[in-house]
Amino acid sequence: MIQETLFLKNTETFAESLARCGVKYHFAYPITPATDVMKRMAVILPRYGGQMMQMESELAVSSALAGAACTGKLVATSSSGPGLTLMHEAIGFMCAAYLPCIVVDSMRVGPGDGDILGAQSDYFVVTRGGAHGDYRTVVLAPSSGQEIADLVPHGIRLAYRYRIPVVFVIDGVSAQTTESTTLPAYNDYSAEFDTSGWAFTGTKDHAKRALITGSYSHQDGYEMNERLRAKYEVIRDKEQMWEQDGVEDAELVVAAFGIHGRMCRDLVSRMRADGKKVGFIRPITLWPFPDRAFEALGSCVQNILVVEMNLGQMVDDVRLAVNGRIPVHFLGKTGGDLPMYTLADMIAEADRLLGE
Amino acid sequence: MENLSAKYGKTLNLDKLTSYCPGCGHGVVTRLVAEAIEELGIMERTIAIVGIGCGGFSHHYMDIDAIEATHGRAPSFALGYKLAMPENIVFTYAGDGDTCAIGLGDLLHAANKGMPITTIMVNNTVFGMTGGQMSPTTLVGQVTATTAKGRDTALQGYPLLVPEMMRSMEGVKFLARESVATPKAIRKAKRSIRKAFECQVRGLGYSFVEVVVPCPTGLKMRVRDSYARCANEMTDYFKPQVFRDETEQVDVA
Ligand SMILES: Cc1ncc(C[n+]2csc(CCOP(=O)(O)OP(=O)(O)O)c2C)c(N)n1
Ligand code: SF4
Repeated sequence: MIQETLFLKNTETFAESLARCGVKYHFAYPITPATDVMKRMAVILPRYGGQMMQMESELAVSSALAGAACTGKLVATSSSGPGLTLMHEAIGFMCAAYLPCIVVDSMRVGPGDGDILGAQSDYFVVTRGGAHGDYRTVVLAPSSGQEIADLVPHGIRLAYRYRIPVVFVIDGVSAQTTESTTLPAYNDYSAEFDTSGWAFTGTKDHAKRALITGSYSHQDGYEMNERLRAKYEVIRDKEQMWEQDGVEDAELVVAAFGIHGRMCRDLVSRMRADGKKVGFIRPITLWPFPDRAFEALGSCVQNILVVEMNLGQMVDDVRLAVNGRIPVHFLGKTGGDLPMYTLADMIAEADRLLGE
Repeated sequence: MENLSAKYGKTLNLDKLTSYCPGCGHGVVTRLVAEAIEELGIMERTIAIVGIGCGGFSHHYMDIDAIEATHGRAPSFALGYKLAMPENIVFTYAGDGDTCAIGLGDLLHAANKGMPITTIMVNNTVFGMTGGQMSPTTLVGQVTATTAKGRDTALQGYPLLVPEMMRSMEGVKFLARESVATPKAIRKAKRSIRKAFECQVRGLGYSFVEVVVPCPTGLKMRVRDSYARCANEMTDYFKPQVFRDETEQVDVA
C-alpha cells in the first residue's frame, strides 16, 4: 500500500493506519461509535494477509486478543465505553503477562449503557485501570485524523518496546469526524522488534515457556509487581508527550486533550490577537500524564482552565501535577445534543478567569 | 532418580512432582493428553491453554509451551492464538467450573465457530481448587461446600450436559465424553483424546472431550470410594459415549 491522502472518517483512519503499520489480526464486537473500525478492518485486513474476527462479546474479544498476542504478532481491537469495561479482565491480564497490543476506544457518554454521543468519559478507566491490581497501560489521545496516522507507528513501538497494551482514546465526536489524512505507506513496525525471546510459539527453537500471571509463592507476586513498577517508572520518565503554545508568558493556561485540545490552538490565536496572555497544553499521552508540562509553568501563570467532555477527570491529574501551586478551574459537561463546548463557550470562560 | 521422561517420551515430564492430590483424576487425564501429543509427534508445535483451577497446573507436567488464561476464557484465547498461528496445535484444558460455569459462553461460541482447536474438559462435579463448591455439573442431591443439603433442582437446576449442547453444531467434528473410572474406561478415554487432537492436526474442525473423573479431596472421599462413585453415579448421569467422529473422512488440512 502506498502513501496516500484520503478523505476518511477518523474511525476508518484508525483501521487504515493500524493495517498499514502492521496489524494483522483485529478482534471486535459491534458498538457505536467504534464499529466503523471493525467494518473497515474486515474489508482491508485480508489484503494484508490478515483477518478481522468478530466475537460474541468484548470479554471474548479481549481474550482472543490476548491469545493472539501470545504469538508475538501485532494485534488490535476497537470498542467504546461499555465494551471497554468488559475488556478489562484481559487488559489487566495482558499487563501482567507482558503482552503487546493496540486497543482503540471511541469514547461515548457513560455510565451504564450511556449514550452513543461522543464524550471523554473514559479518562479514568484508561488511566487508573478498570481491572484489579497495580497496572498501567500507555494511553495516547490523538486529536485529529492526521495525528492518528502519525501516532499509530509510535504506539506500536511503545507496545513492543515495553511489551504493554497501548490504548488509543478518542472522543466519539472526533471519531466520527470526516477529514483529509495522509496515510502512511505499508510498514510493519512490530517487525523492528524481535519477539523470538519470549513468544509462545512452540518448543521447536526454545525450552518450554509458560505464561503465568498467578503467583505460586508470595515472593513471586512481590517480584512480579516490582518488575512492573520498574517498567512503569521508565515509561513515566521517558514517554510523556504533549503539545503546547503560548505558555511562556501566559496568565491563563487552558489544558485539554482530544478535540478540546485541538480547539485550544484557535482559542489561543484568537485571544492572543486581542492581546490576551493565554496559552495551552494539550496532553497527548494521558498515561504517562505529562506532569512536566505543568511543572515547568512559570510564576506568570495565575490560573489553569481544564476543559473536558466529562464531569472532571483529567482535571485531577492537572491538580496533582501543579500540586497546589496554581489554581485549577474546570469546565466540563457530558451528553446532550451538543456534548461539548463551542470555541465561544471556552473563550467566554477564559475571559471570565482573566477578569475581563 | 531414574529419568522417567526418557522412558515415557519427551512430552510428559514425569520428573516433576505433581501438585495433584493423591487419586486426583487430573493426573490420569494429563498423562493421556501428553501421550496423545507424543504419539502424534506434535510436541514442538503444541500449545496448552489452561484454565484456572487444579487443571491449570497440568501444563507443568508437559514440556510444551503453555498459557495460563483468565478464568473461563481459554477457548477464546485459543481462537485468537489459532487465527494468528494456524500451523500450531492449540488445546484448552480446564475443569468443569472453568469450562462450563464462567466459561460456557466462550466455550459454546468457540465450538460453534468450528475452528480447529481442541478442548479437554475435566469434569469432577465440583470446584476443586477453591474447596469443593457446587459446579454446574454437580449431581442432583450432591452435598458440596455450597449445597449443604444437596443440589436442589428447584434452585440450582440440573447438572449440565455439555457435549450434548454441541450435538447440533456442524463445526464440531469430534465430540465425546469419557471417564477414568476403570482401566478399560481409561483406554477408551485415551483413544478419544488422541482422536480429538488428530481432528485438529488434520484441520477438520473443533474437537471436544469431556472426561469424568474423581476429586477425592473436594468430595471428601477415600480414593477408592471416589473411583466407585465415578464408575457408578457419575457415569450413570454423564454417560460416556462418542457423539460424533468425523476423523474418518478425507484430509482437508
Ligand atoms: C474471575 C475469577 N473468579 C473466581 C476465581 C477463583 N477460582 C479459582 S479456581 C476456581 C474453580 C475451579 O474449578 P474447576 O474449573 O471445576 O477446576 P478444578 O479445580 O476442579 O480442576 C475458582 C472459582 C478466579 N481465579 N477468577
Ligand atoms: S482438589 Fe480435587 S481436582 Fe484439585 S488436585 Fe485435589 S483431587 Fe484434584
